[in-house]
Amino acid sequence: MGFIQKQYVVMKIIKHYQEEGQGSEVVQGVLLGLVVDDRLEITNCFPFPQHTEDDADFDEVQYQMEMMRSLRHVNIDHLHVGWYQSTFYGSFVSRALLDSQFSYQHAIEESVVLIYDPIKTAQGSLSLKAYRLTPKLMEICKEKDFTPEGLKKASIGFENMFEEVPIVIKNSHLINVLMWELEDKSTVADKHELLNLSSSNHLEKSLQLLMDRVDDMSQEIVKYNTYSRNLSKQQQQKHQYLQRRQQENAQRQSRGEAPLPEEDISKLFKPPQPPPRMDSLLIAGQINNYCQNVKEFTSQNLGKLFMAEALQGQN
Amino acid sequence: MSRFFATGSDSESEESSSADEITPKAPGTTLKQSLLLSDDEEDTKRVVRSAKDKRFEELTNLIKTIRNAMKIRDMAKCLEEFEQLCRAFLKSKNIVDKEGVPSFYIRLLADLEDYLNQLWEDKDGKKKMNKNNAKALSTLRQKIRKYNRDFETEIAAYKEVSRKSFLPPLTCSSSESEGEAGGVSAKSFLKKKPDEASKSSSSGEDDDDDDDDEGWSGESKESDSESSDGEAKRQSMAESFLKYVLFLILTFKTWESRKHIEEEEEDGGEEGGEGWEKVKYGVPLEKPKMFAKGTEINTTVVVKKLNEILQARGKKGTDRAAQIELLHALAAIAAEHNLGQGILVKIKFNIIASLYDYNPNLAAFMKADMWKKCLECIDELLDILFENNNIFIGENIAEDSENLAVSDQPFRVRGCVLTLVERMDEEFTKIMQNTDPHSQEYVDNLKDEGRVCGIVDRLLTYLENKGSTEEICRVYLRRIMHTYYKFDYKAHRRSLGLQGETKSEQDQEESEGEDSALIMDRLCKFIYAKDRTDRIRTCAILCHIYHHALHSRWYQARDLMLMSHLQDNIHHSDPPVQILYNRTMVQLGICAFRQGMIKDAHNALLDIQSSGRAKELLGQGLLMRNMQERNAEQEKIEKRRQVPFHMHINLELLECVYLVSAMLLEIPYMAAHEFDARRRMISKQFHHQLRVGERQPLLGPPESMREHVVAASKAMKMGDWRTCHSFIINEKMNSKVWDLFPETQRVREMLVRKIQEESLRTYLFTYSSVYDSISMEILSEMFQLEMPTVHSIISKMIINEELMASLDQPTQTVVMHRTEPTSLQNMALQLAEKLGSLVENNERVFDLKQGVYGGYFNRDQKGGYQQKQGGYQGGYQGGYQGGYQRGGYRNQNQSNY
Repeated sequence: MGFIQKQYVVMKIIKHYQEEGQGSEVVQGVLLGLVVDDRLEITNCFPFPQHTEDDADFDEVQYQMEMMRSLRHVNIDHLHVGWYQSTFYGSFVSRALLDSQFSYQHAIEESVVLIYDPIKTAQGSLSLKAYRLTPKLMEICKEKDFTPEGLKKASIGFENMFEEVPIVIKNSHLINVLMWELEDKSTVADKHELLNLSSSNHLEKSLQLLMDRVDDMSQEIVKYNTYSRNLSKQQQQKHQYLQRRQQENAQRQSRGEAPLPEEDISKLFKPPQPPPRMDSLLIAGQINNYCQNVKEFTSQNLGKLFMAEALQGQN
Repeated sequence: MSRFFATGSDSESEESSSADEITPKAPGTTLKQSLLLSDDEEDTKRVVRSAKDKRFEELTNLIKTIRNAMKIRDMAKCLEEFEQLCRAFLKSKNIVDKEGVPSFYIRLLADLEDYLNQLWEDKDGKKKMNKNNAKALSTLRQKIRKYNRDFETEIAAYKEVSRKSFLPPLTCSSSESEGEAGGVSAKSFLKKKPDEASKSSSSGEDDDDDDDDEGWSGESKESDSESSDGEAKRQSMAESFLKYVLFLILTFKTWESRKHIEEEEEDGGEEGGEGWEKVKYGVPLEKPKMFAKGTEINTTVVVKKLNEILQARGKKGTDRAAQIELLHALAAIAAEHNLGQGILVKIKFNIIASLYDYNPNLAAFMKADMWKKCLECIDELLDILFENNNIFIGENIAEDSENLAVSDQPFRVRGCVLTLVERMDEEFTKIMQNTDPHSQEYVDNLKDEGRVCGIVDRLLTYLENKGSTEEICRVYLRRIMHTYYKFDYKAHRRSLGLQGETKSEQDQEESEGEDSALIMDRLCKFIYAKDRTDRIRTCAILCHIYHHALHSRWYQARDLMLMSHLQDNIHHSDPPVQILYNRTMVQLGICAFRQGMIKDAHNALLDIQSSGRAKELLGQGLLMRNMQERNAEQEKIEKRRQVPFHMHINLELLECVYLVSAMLLEIPYMAAHEFDARRRMISKQFHHQLRVGERQPLLGPPESMREHVVAASKAMKMGDWRTCHSFIINEKMNSKVWDLFPETQRVREMLVRKIQEESLRTYLFTYSSVYDSISMEILSEMFQLEMPTVHSIISKMIINEELMASLDQPTQTVVMHRTEPTSLQNMALQLAEKLGSLVENNERVFDLKQGVYGGYFNRDQKGGYQQKQGGYQGGYQGGYQGGYQRGGYRNQNQSNY
């Protein structure tokens, strides 16, 4: 499924972030568009208003409906096709995202989530990605079965939780012309934002976030560890109990007595509550994401460094 | 008493007072006293009493206490007693059924009810009452109301009578004075009666007197009904009152006649009289004579007597004071008759023992006079023992193999002086524990310490000649216990080379004898060599260390501590020894601090200070915090463990020493490891103080010791040693802390130097990244340190790889290498570590599935990985955490700080 977007939408998203989002704050909004053949065309969007403490009783759904109705009145595409969200250093794989994307995708099958990374964009390369949940994950979410067994059965890993959808940005011809003109006018320095060599800040931040996630992961693992230990211990006990019971029954039988009544073993040995594994999956996904980011970033930077070195040699 | 007899003639007052004396006697004493006295008296003394008598007496006693409680408005006590009274009354139901409700009982009920109602009305008074009392009042009021319903008629009758005040005298005298009243003149009788009557009538209101009054009427009623046993029917109050008067007359008469008879009997006269007196007062007026006059007083008789007296010991209701008196008397007799030292010693033993017995429970401490007596007795006993070389005493001499008589053989006496002295010492501790440490009384009591020490010393010389090794060990320990915590100023001055300023002082110094250090050394070494019980040796070692530490002999103290290996097994000993251990550790830490061994000081104090319960651990007070955790019993035990105030270690000094040493360690460490995620706190408490300081919304100039240290730490963090110095050493801190040290000036100098050095280190850690090179001369000027010192500090830092730099000799500068990892690199390292632990955790999951060590790594690889990690972490952990964790001093030199 292809994916087309108008520059207008991109600009609106960026503007939204510039105006309202700062630092790690996240901005969100609704995507509007329509499905054409096997493509999803996003032709418009509008932001969710920023929440403040004061208006806790603000009705978001109401607002969306109002907004869409107004848009229809001015004859703009008003079909809900997904939502967008900004991100901070690529940290977007979270429970909240999963839940809302699931509900979107559940209601409107074609929905996507657009992730806009303002920091990367500020460094010179527009970073806009579209994601959808894979059908497998959809199923799991539908059943709400996050136990280790459930996930195993569905054979889902952090790699195949989300699928990325390619994005094509389309402009009207008029805008294309304008762009050409602008490119001619812009100075050389403007274009060389890309070549910025100071990288440590960005890397540090990424590492910090990565470390936090790794800590979380460790915790999850420890949790799982205790769980499985408990489980195996209990299984052993259960086994012993059964054996004893069997022996006793055999003895009784030899003495001619009636065997002991069967008791409900599951009552005697309540299996420990398995920890939900979804979180660790998400964390793994997030870590993966960070790693990709860092990798990308560093490989670019290495290239830049070599370039700089070569230039220095020339001079 | 004399108040209402004031008008009477001489003879009357005499009569009446003697009559007084008869009545309020305590029931128990007669019997007891008679037991103590020799046989021939007993016939006269033993009174056969009916069950009724006993019961009624019990009731009257209770009533007395209630009246007393009423007087002081102690409602709680009143309630308690009243309940007892009801119970006692129930018990005596049989008799009451037979005899009718005793009038004194009714009287009390009526009075009590009136009294309570009166209190109840008094709103102001009720408000002033404490909660307990107020509660008791309401309960009691309800109770008595309910209770009195059963006695309504009687009470009404009583009230009626009391209103009428008294009957006309003539009718009464005629009514029942047939035989008895004959001897008394009518005049005196009449005179007395109105007084009495008005008295009894007013008793309801007049609280002052009705106590004795109650006793009177109770007694009279009882003896009266005794005399007229046949009258079983109840009598009105008026009648009983009459009887009471009659009884007075009767008693007087019998007393008179008895006196007459006694005068005639020349032999036993005194005894008889004395017997009477005794009964009257419950306390002997004159020394009782133990033996009938005719008896020949010899050893056997005295021993028999002694045993007789001792049999009463420990029994319930024995008058202990009287017993002590008796023993004293016996001793006097023995001395008088020259029965030899043996018997005297034996009696002395028993006197002291009963002095100890005087207090019924362990928690109570001796009264001052008892204590004085006890000291005297022990002194005398020791005198005797010193004078007479031929007395053998021992715990294991059997009672029958004792040789007390004067003969050629040496005396053999059962008993143990050592135990007595030990007990005395404990009593002394108890007295000190129970005295308010800020009162003059405490000082006075403390003066006895010298005497106690003297006794211990004398015993020590005695036992050195005679005692067994174990006994010597024990007495040595006592001596040590009295010595170890005292600072030997004389020796201190001598070591400083100062002579006493005046001649007299010099003399005193000479007469003082050896240094306490030498004494300690001698005594302790003896114990180390000879003692077989672990406890005494442990205590001796601890005291020895304490003493060394107190006198700044750090190395001896430390070596002794290390050699004894006490840190390993102190947890198995009993709490008092542990307290001693804690005290010793603290003293050791303070000593280390004085010597400038900051690290050692910190480590020695860490255990005590980190718990936050220093007070409790040192036995210097109980914490309120765990009131609910312990019950009353435990609390008592803990209280008994407390160290007397004069042995306390100043807690503020302790904390200050700890915090300052923590500061000197922690601040450079913090500066060196600013970015290290694995950084550990050296001292939690210090960090806590810092955080508390940071939380202050407004920072004023420091007030308390802690604030001073926190402020100093902040200054030090910036490498500003001058400010730091001024915060640590100033007027306030001097008076609070530093002046408490014996060598104040030296300690202060040491401290300044340490502050300079550590500030230099902190400065280098913090600001090395901004320098390319720095001249040592400038550093030396900045921190007021000599060049060689600066040089050595920097060299040390370079060697320990704390500072990435090298020294440039010709220019005397430090050239920075700038090889410290950047923050990104630091971060990457941290991440690597975290990932390491993550992998490890993951592996464990795998282990569980696959059995042992399937997985990615086999054993060796895993080990290798961990080793690598260990090497990376290395460094400080080894230094700071090794060994000391368990309070140990073992791997001192391993730390490479």
